[in-house]
Amino acid sequence: MDQFLQHLLNALMLGGTYALLGIGLTLIFGIMRVVNFTHGELYAFGAYMMYALVMRTGVNFFVALVLAIALGALLGAALEFVLLRRLRGADIDTTMLVMIGAWIALQNTEQLVWTGVAKSIDNPFPAAPLVIGAVSVGWNRVFVFVVALLLIGITYFLIQKTKLGKAMRATFQDRDTAALMGVQIGSIHTATFALGSALAAAAGALLGPVFVAYPSMGDMAAAKAFAIVILGGLGSIPGATLGGFILALAEELGAGYISSGYRDAMSFLLIIAILVFKPTGLFAQKERIG
Amino acid sequence: MLSVSSLECRYGKVAAVRGLSLEVNKGELVSLIGANGAGKTTTLKAISGVLPPAGGRVIFEGEDITHASARRILQLGIAHCPEGRRVFPYMTVRENLEMGCFLRHDKPGIAADLKRLFERFPILDERRHQAAGTLSGGEQQMLAISRALMSRPKLVLFDEPSLGLAPNIVEKTFDIIKQIRSEGVTVVMVEQNALAALELSDRAYVMEQGSVTLSGSGRQLLDDPQVQKVYLGG
Ligand SMILES: Nc1ncnc2c1ncn2[C@@H]1O[C@H](COP(=O)(O)OP(=O)(O)O)[C@@H](O)[C@H]1O
Ligand SMILES: [Mg+2]
Repeated sequence: MDQFLQHLLNALMLGGTYALLGIGLTLIFGIMRVVNFTHGELYAFGAYMMYALVMRTGVNFFVALVLAIALGALLGAALEFVLLRRLRGADIDTTMLVMIGAWIALQNTEQLVWTGVAKSIDNPFPAAPLVIGAVSVGWNRVFVFVVALLLIGITYFLIQKTKLGKAMRATFQDRDTAALMGVQIGSIHTATFALGSALAAAAGALLGPVFVAYPSMGDMAAAKAFAIVILGGLGSIPGATLGGFILALAEELGAGYISSGYRDAMSFLLIIAILVFKPTGLFAQKERIG
Repeated sequence: MLSVSSLECRYGKVAAVRGLSLEVNKGELVSLIGANGAGKTTTLKAISGVLPPAGGRVIFEGEDITHASARRILQLGIAHCPEGRRVFPYMTVRENLEMGCFLRHDKPGIAADLKRLFERFPILDERRHQAAGTLSGGEQQMLAISRALMSRPKLVLFDEPSLGLAPNIVEKTFDIIKQIRSEGVTVVMVEQNALAALELSDRAYVMEQGSVTLSGSGRQLLDDPQVQKVYLGG
């Protein structure tokens, strides 16, 4: 029982970051109809920015976190501006090929700049874990969880309550009519890609210091993000939020009760299960985007 | 106020509007009637900037808006209430109205306009927190009209406002349009329901295969034997 509670707690702590990854990807797909293969690289970018800022430049950990997220947004905006803007109206295959190219280019750039050696990032939290009865959790993970929840909350607020968020939802629901209302579809796409990328970078910046940063770390993150998005239903933010926690739980239980080698297999098992039993994902169409 | 000359519109290689010209004076209610596929919707899309024309000129209050963006054209005072209503289905009634005044920044003015619209359409007030997609066709039309008015337009383009509505709602819709005109807003309306449109209009244009074949006052066209035969079923 205690072991089960421990798994549950671990999953909860991890699920928030997975939800961030999933929300970012689902937003981009929902609004732009772009299958974003660079998502995992933005995750890696977030982790490497933490390494660069904290370990190489000596920037305060918390300041570095904010900067890493902002830089992720900036890189996302640049990718949209340079690559995707030219591809508006192109068919989905062309866009996918370009995004796969961008993914490979980004990953190799990381390897070139940071070498293939994994980098660890120091964190300022006490080494002794927080003990609650029979279960315990590291302070660094508590921090990751709290910040992830905060970012999820900010994202919901942005999408639901702000003018930009409303324009994003309107664009998702009916692009031509949104344009008739005066929405500049191009700017909405840039903003969406920047936001989605910032969320991926945030996930990487949060988990990088918990694990390590290495050039191919984005691949697994991307696979997980896709699993979460398929699980929650393409374009569904609540679906991606819930999906993140479900994947984290599946991984914890898979690793704990089957074999630790099963951790990373769980995302693929979930994708298969969802595609077989409920291909539209957990959330129905009407709940998409918002 | 609005002057369209030799307008050409294409979807790929297919010409949908060929050399269309029309004039709208301030304060008028002008209709565009014609069979399905005549190019009426396309004409409105070209005026509001959603579909850039392939040729011709569109002048609004002295400014050439032929190649202006939809945003710019809305800023100049042309609102477009599209065919099929096109409310944002998963946004609430209130959010739909907020989208209607997306470019406005005068908070007090917006609040006053919202209040006035809610008084005018109590059903929208009642449903303000409901998703627009759950409204009936008639309610969605009220919402689409209100949303277009939220930009405080000088000219409103209505595309088939009566399409698919119950007869009593159709009548109500035309009443609303009449009322909008009487408040000083210029109206261009596309209608399949030619009889109702001509009765309501100061002037009208008959479109066939992408260009204007006939024009005149509503009365003249109602009395025209050709129009009676083709569009009024007599
Ligand atoms: N999106 C489109 N793509 C290709 N052809 C179109 C499109 N929309 C309309 N058309 C064609 O353009 C012509 C005019 O259409 P439209 O302006 O919708 O006519 P109306 O509103 O008078 O019924 C028709 O022949 C129609 O088939
Ligand atoms: Mg039409």
